[in-house]
Amino acid sequence: MRFQDAARDGRAVVYAGIQADPLVKRAAALLAEATPAQRVLARAVMNGETTDVTSWLAMFPALFGPSVPAGHERSRSEAILAASLEVAQRGEQVRSQFRGAIVEELTAILLARRTGEAAVHRERRILFDGVRAEIHPYDVTVEREGAAEAYDCKWGARGISDDVLHQLDDARSHAADEDVALRAALVVFDAERSCLVRLGRLNAPHDGTTIVPLESLDRIAAPAS
Amino acid sequence: MASTTVPEALERALAAYAELTALGEEIEDEWSYVNDLADAWRARLEGVAAARVGTTIDPAADAAIERAIDEIGRIADPHRAIDWLSTFPQVALLAIGETP
Repeated sequence: MRFQDAARDGRAVVYAGIQADPLVKRAAALLAEATPAQRVLARAVMNGETTDVTSWLAMFPALFGPSVPAGHERSRSEAILAASLEVAQRGEQVRSQFRGAIVEELTAILLARRTGEAAVHRERRILFDGVRAEIHPYDVTVEREGAAEAYDCKWGARGISDDVLHQLDDARSHAADEDVALRAALVVFDAERSCLVRLGRLNAPHDGTTIVPLESLDRIAAPAS
Repeated sequence: MASTTVPEALERALAAYAELTALGEEIEDEWSYVNDLADAWRARLEGVAAARVGTTIDPAADAAIERAIDEIGRIADPHRAIDWLSTFPQVALLAIGETP
């Protein structure tokens, strides 16, 4: 098994520009420190209709209500709201790309806490002897001897598809054929309940794939128990 | 219209949620998923309402749910409606201090 950079076609070049946008980095860094409720706030605002800040402040009393004292938590909520509104104001197509890039960046940040930044890579293909390579790269990989990991990232549960699940399961099983351990996981910036509903409608194998929903994002930063 | 109890607020949320579900159903390929998703979240909201019968709702929480209802009422794109079929219940539950 070996890793390889994805081909730099036109789409990849455009998307690389989005991935490198400071707003993506800022939003992901904030969300890496966020509570589940703050992550729901980001999800709602980045996919919202209104960009009226007072509406969002009122919609999340647990984050902005009068009982929430000034301090780090409230400041982070305000910063997440501000960054999310910036994403929302980019227009439908662009913000869709930003949302995806933010989930990927967030995943990379959380993984780096456990593995170190040097082991975390983006947009990588995984090649196996005698197996035709998948064209689609994995969003984030951890490349360590004996402890490799492959992640795809989705903004919402609806993004979970048979194709995505097949690709992750194929990587895991091909690695196993080479007697190499490869953790395959799908990070979804959506509630576990919604992910389970989506998975229930799909046929692709996923027993060997770890699903990481919004509530459990911090698990990928924690050492395996 | 202000609610006085948590179940009353959730009843209004569920009525708005039904309209959001109908909008999401316009994506024919996702009709079953839309309904499964709505069933799952409706059950969660109804479960909370049943568990909190008679519980007075905090005015800020009531206003939050009202704002969330207003937000989904603005949605015209059925694809976005499907995304909010997951998001709206999470927002409503957080507003009343429940875990999604």
